[in-house]
Amino acid sequence: MRVENKLRIDFNAALVFILIISFFLIANQNPAFLSGEYIISVVLKNAIEIGFLALPMTIIIVTGGIDLSCGNMMVLASMLGGIAAAKGGSLLGIAVTFLVGCACGLLNGVIIAKIKVPAMVTTLATMYLFLGIARGISKGVSIYSYPVTDFLGNALVFGIPIQVYIYIIWAVIFVTILQKSVYGRIIFAIGRNEGAARYSGVNTEIAVIKAYVLEGVMAGFAALTWIGRFTSLKYDAGTNLHMKVITVVVLGGTSILGGYGDMKGTIIATLIIAVLNSGLTVMGMPVDAQTIVQGTVLLISLTVYALINMQGKRKKRPKLQESGGEKMQPLH
Amino acid sequence: MTTTKKFSRFRTTEFYLFVFLIAILVFLKIFAAGFYDINNVMSILNRFSYILISAIGMNLIIITSNIDVSAGALISALCIIVALIGKKGLNTGVLLISAIATGILISMVNGLIITRLRIPAIVATLATTQILQGILPLSVNGSIYDLPVSFTWLAVKAKIFGLIPGSVVIAIVFAVIAIVFMKYSRYSRQLYAIGNNMTGARLAGINVNRVVIISYMIAGGLYGVTSVIIATGSQRVTPTMANGMEMLFIASAVLGGTSTTGGKGKIEGTVIGALILSMISSAINYLGISSDWSDAVMGFIILASVVTTTYKKKKKRVIEGAEQ
Repeated sequence: MRVENKLRIDFNAALVFILIISFFLIANQNPAFLSGEYIISVVLKNAIEIGFLALPMTIIIVTGGIDLSCGNMMVLASMLGGIAAAKGGSLLGIAVTFLVGCACGLLNGVIIAKIKVPAMVTTLATMYLFLGIARGISKGVSIYSYPVTDFLGNALVFGIPIQVYIYIIWAVIFVTILQKSVYGRIIFAIGRNEGAARYSGVNTEIAVIKAYVLEGVMAGFAALTWIGRFTSLKYDAGTNLHMKVITVVVLGGTSILGGYGDMKGTIIATLIIAVLNSGLTVMGMPVDAQTIVQGTVLLISLTVYALINMQGKRKKRPKLQESGGEKMQPLH
Repeated sequence: MTTTKKFSRFRTTEFYLFVFLIAILVFLKIFAAGFYDINNVMSILNRFSYILISAIGMNLIIITSNIDVSAGALISALCIIVALIGKKGLNTGVLLISAIATGILISMVNGLIITRLRIPAIVATLATTQILQGILPLSVNGSIYDLPVSFTWLAVKAKIFGLIPGSVVIAIVFAVIAIVFMKYSRYSRQLYAIGNNMTGARLAGINVNRVVIISYMIAGGLYGVTSVIIATGSQRVTPTMANGMEMLFIASAVLGGTSTTGGKGKIEGTVIGALILSMISSAINYLGISSDWSDAVMGFIILASVVTTTYKKKKKRVIEGAEQ
């Protein structure tokens, strides 16, 4: 237990270490990167949508699921919201955005939890479905932003973009949900052993559905800031977003197999990806080189994580029985 | 009782899918006669051929409960390699061999990462996707064009009776080989065993790592064939030609009844799945609906098919339990 806990802390520390190293390496190459204004307005702003989606994705991946449809969910929500806003004003737009997000999440959750279709297949299909609906409705035409989203995407409060505040609030809420609340315990229990969680009296279906609806809600927030930041949006805007979101979550130390995860890791990983993306832009690297770096970082972190895990397992094996229940405190 | 049992043996996922396919074809015959235009059918068959060839490889991988999301990026990379070799004026046979060899090699790296480092397949191939997608546009300036006329031999000249594209023949040959192979070979039994219960398979003496790596290598070779068919379609090759195509392959396998949790799936189903998916956008067009809706229809068909098959299985399981 103590060994495992130490490793977990070390992993977060290692992430912070990577963050600082990459930060200063980039700053060393181009001092302009160090200016506070640049860090706040460009570095943070660029990754905020990925950050929004990564928070609930961590919960989903801890339950052993995955959501490939999150990027297109965001696009569909902002598209229908934009259309509604053009007809009935900003308030209607926001309402529709969140309604669509929740409905998409609910659809995923019900099919996965109630009908028991594997999460990957479900969200693969809904990924096409959401993309297709967005494409069919917009007929390939762009949707434009409206006043409220302009505010959410571009406004500065005390010199810091407003979405950063929103992100911080949500980050605190999600850390509380996963790390401190009863619901978080249930999520970990489902990820370790869904059957056992069900037999100990947890309504696993509702818990899983909740996780996917949360993804829908956050997709709504991401949709509002995204359309505000870019002022227009086409149906194919989110096609690769799910990959980036999963990259962030996995980089943060959440096991893709479920049962192990850390919300703080996800938040630090979001910062790492933000720094890398903008940093490489500052250094004049083409966008494609950034993709390579992102993939390599993911691969290296996975390898390191796998090696740590293997070592931990080797040490743990003789006393498997006592370490089994210790990391997770009793459910009730 | 025996008659119902006999009947229920036919009522597999593949059977329902086949009925569904016939229903679509009849529906199109009535409402969209233009769909059966000979040129349209041939272009659908060409698309079907390259989707099917890769979907067979993807099927093998999914049966072991792994997955390969790097297929699209990998095929794009192979397309570029094919174009670079084709620029020298070499014939299609050489292109095929070199594409298959490179495909096997790159895909083997995926397999090695997954088995040796024990990284889950979806994230490992996600990482290689990003690396490949990054390298490609950097290594090629824009696109490769001005390819020699001999480059498009497979798409233009190689036609049976001057009509059926050569790629279709290749696809059918591969499908037949795959069906026989999956029925009778020892290797295919090991694939299913690993998908059903990996620990059990290992304890039964199967070299799990080797079998998984070989499944990735076979898939890599098949991606190579696909890349030749795609690349030789025109005299210009771009580095993003096949990006995102992996979802089509996964969808074909899944629509064909392959379970992503592993251990289940037949090539026959994949063939029908690939055929349905390859004709959606064209069918929609001939039905008079904007082709903008094709993705939505595709998503809906996949979703409906997995929901109904899963629901059916769930119900059956309950009844079986009651009988005991």
